[in-house]
Amino acid sequence: MTETPPFTQTVFPLRDFDPATLPSEEPIYRAYAPGVPICIDLGAHSTKIGLANAAVPNNVFPSIVSRWRDRKISQTLTIVGNDVFRDSSVKLAMKTPFDGPMIANWDYIEYMLDYSFEHLGVNSSGGVDNPVVMTEAMGAPHVFRKNMYQLLFEAYNAPTVAFGLDSLFAYHANGGRTGLVVGAGHELTSIIPVVQGRGILTQAKRINFGGHQATTYLSSLLTLKYPYFPTKITAQQAEYLVHDHCYVSPNFHEEIKTALDPDVLQTLDRVIEAPFVEIAKVVKSEEELQKEAEKRREGGRRLQEQAQKLRLEKLVQKEKDYAYYITVRAKMETASKRDVQNMLQGEGFEGEADFKKYMYNLERSLKRSRQGDLGDVEEETPTFPLVDIPDEQLSEEEIREKRKQRLMKSNYDARARAKLEKEEEKRLRDEEIRKDKEWRESDLDGWVAARRARLGELIAKHQVRVKIQREGKDRKSKASQQRMKNIASLADDADANAGGTKRKRVTNSATIDNDPNDTFGANDADWAVYRDINSEAVGADNEEVEEEEREELLKIERELLEHDVQFTQADTFEASFDWKNSTLHKFLRGPSAFDIEDAHHQHQVHLNVERIRVPEIYFQPSIAGLDQAGVCEISEDIVLRRMPSCGFLGDADEMVRDVFLCGGPVLTHGFETRMRNEFTSFLPSGALLRIRTANDPVLDAWKGMAQWANGAGATYVTKKEYEEMGSEYIKEHNLGNPCLI
Amino acid sequence: MPDMNEISYLTTKPHSFKSPTWKAPNRRHKPLKQLLSDEQKRLNTHEPPLANDPVTYFSVEAPPSLRPLKVYCDITGLPTTYKAPGSNLRYYDAEVFELIRNIAPGVDQQYLELRAANVILR
Repeated sequence: MTETPPFTQTVFPLRDFDPATLPSEEPIYRAYAPGVPICIDLGAHSTKIGLANAAVPNNVFPSIVSRWRDRKISQTLTIVGNDVFRDSSVKLAMKTPFDGPMIANWDYIEYMLDYSFEHLGVNSSGGVDNPVVMTEAMGAPHVFRKNMYQLLFEAYNAPTVAFGLDSLFAYHANGGRTGLVVGAGHELTSIIPVVQGRGILTQAKRINFGGHQATTYLSSLLTLKYPYFPTKITAQQAEYLVHDHCYVSPNFHEEIKTALDPDVLQTLDRVIEAPFVEIAKVVKSEEELQKEAEKRREGGRRLQEQAQKLRLEKLVQKEKDYAYYITVRAKMETASKRDVQNMLQGEGFEGEADFKKYMYNLERSLKRSRQGDLGDVEEETPTFPLVDIPDEQLSEEEIREKRKQRLMKSNYDARARAKLEKEEEKRLRDEEIRKDKEWRESDLDGWVAARRARLGELIAKHQVRVKIQREGKDRKSKASQQRMKNIASLADDADANAGGTKRKRVTNSATIDNDPNDTFGANDADWAVYRDINSEAVGADNEEVEEEEREELLKIERELLEHDVQFTQADTFEASFDWKNSTLHKFLRGPSAFDIEDAHHQHQVHLNVERIRVPEIYFQPSIAGLDQAGVCEISEDIVLRRMPSCGFLGDADEMVRDVFLCGGPVLTHGFETRMRNEFTSFLPSGALLRIRTANDPVLDAWKGMAQWANGAGATYVTKKEYEEMGSEYIKEHNLGNPCLI
Repeated sequence: MPDMNEISYLTTKPHSFKSPTWKAPNRRHKPLKQLLSDEQKRLNTHEPPLANDPVTYFSVEAPPSLRPLKVYCDITGLPTTYKAPGSNLRYYDAEVFELIRNIAPGVDQQYLELRAANVILR
């Protein structure tokens, strides 16, 4: 195997919002003038506000409001936009007025408008003395317009109001006349054909996927990918992950196929490390280590000495006892039976046998401790002189001694036999090794084949065992059904044994559920049968066999590694668990080894497939479970079928000459390239195709609003018209929704 | 550190540009679901009836895809054709299958939720 140089990856920090990057305060517009249109691009992600006499919006702030009760002064603070991030407790209470793409909370919108007009320096009294231009959603629901009209006309007394679509305003700002506008937003993506400066909304489409959904999708992917990740990745951090690391694959179908290939992974994989406090390891010097070791040795010695002392004390005590009982025994020999009994009871013995047993044990332990202190003495061959002499020639005392000697002799013989057996075994083993070696030397191929066959057998056995274990988990598997049958029959037997007489089953109309003879469980002891069976099933036996086979497997592998040239480290059973071959390892831990002890590794997430998987949803919404066609399929449909069928024959050709991208998500790296690739694939060859991204995908909508408001085409609904026509009425213009009434 | 009270006051103070007679209606909070169903109801019962092909929030909804559905492994995101029986999770290879075989209860549904294929109990 060739050794590749170790691969090191750049570790990116997990970016979070830094309040220090905020300006010291939200700017207040100095050049307020009554009558100048006020443009408000009210987005689900951020709101851009400004007067049309400025080049850029005066304030850009996230569309969030925090109502936080300060307990010290018992007041509820209302903080809007960027200011929310200035205080951590205020930040915790932040909420958005939006639910999906729609405004759900109008109280918050009112706060945001109050905040906006204040920051625009509006100082007219009794009302906002400026025309107001607002953005709205494509096909905005009536309730939106109703509430917005109500606020602007009744609360702010605005003289005139106009609504329009943000992506069309952005197209307007970029000087577009005829083209296809793809606007990707925070909550939705819209595709609108524009002909001669007019948005054709009857042919426009909306995909319910935007930057927010991409963020949530990545966030859920990561929680599932790393369920035990020590810190929580916040929505804000996930948003930055999408911004910083995700990109649109120019050819997703090809790129995803090889995403986890080792060489591809080295460039695709991104390591992101969450911040954590490292627990510093105290590094000890050589001297300190030596000192510690010496201390340990000293402690050990002291313990040993103490134990020795204790043993000696015990020995002395035992010797004393022994001497005492020897005298007792001597006395007993001469005393009468009754006296002996009394004496024994006085000493605390139950009888003569008990006394003898005690004496025997004492003698033995004495002998042992004496020997232990002196060191191991080679056991000399004991002699048994009485064993071979017939009983007739012996006195009663000697017969007793003979019986004892016979016992000892058999004991000794057994030990000797065992020793012999052991030697024989060793000889056989050596013989086997020798034969094996001979076989190997004479017929290497045959030997290797046999070894390999045995290895295969062992692996197969292991796999069978794993399979059985797995089947045990599944209630419906054959193995566990068989097990249930066994349990049932065992329980039956146990029941019969306990009851003494085996009762006859009532078989008619009895099922397993309502068998009147089935009293299993009535007695708590019945359940013990499960325990017995379990301990049988995964008993020590099984584990032992497993361990033995594993050892044999390792041994064979060692031998094969040594003698079989074709058997390499990569072929071993261990190697099949190598992370280099593991899809999941590469997915979870990237192209390098994972050290579970390393605190850095623990706090790292790897983005690889996700980097292209998340933005791909714009092109294949089905990935996120949306039953909608992707951006390019919709575009194809509009350009090739919908527009021509509506009579815009020449315009469809013209349209692909200006495909316009705007909105935050189109800033994702590679978005434009992918669009170009896909458009090229469905357009007839030679068709003129031009795809461009807005100069400023985020702010161009507002700039377009200002341009439109300053231009001649601006049409507003006056307060009088609103009062006359009702809240459903809007004035149609090129960049807005059509009026339904 | 700017004074949060001052920041808040800018929004909540009495504004010169606000109509003195304005009183905010009481309940002004509706979740998306209700907003959509209200809008649908309004369109269906519109007086006078709407023209043939009105542009509404629902009419601009993108249609389902007509292209063959591409399926990807639910765990790794790689293209695959395998689907696990029982959990209906798609998996890339035997190793991933082993993972979903031993997946913690409930987690399979979380994976399915990512592509809106989870079982929703009502």
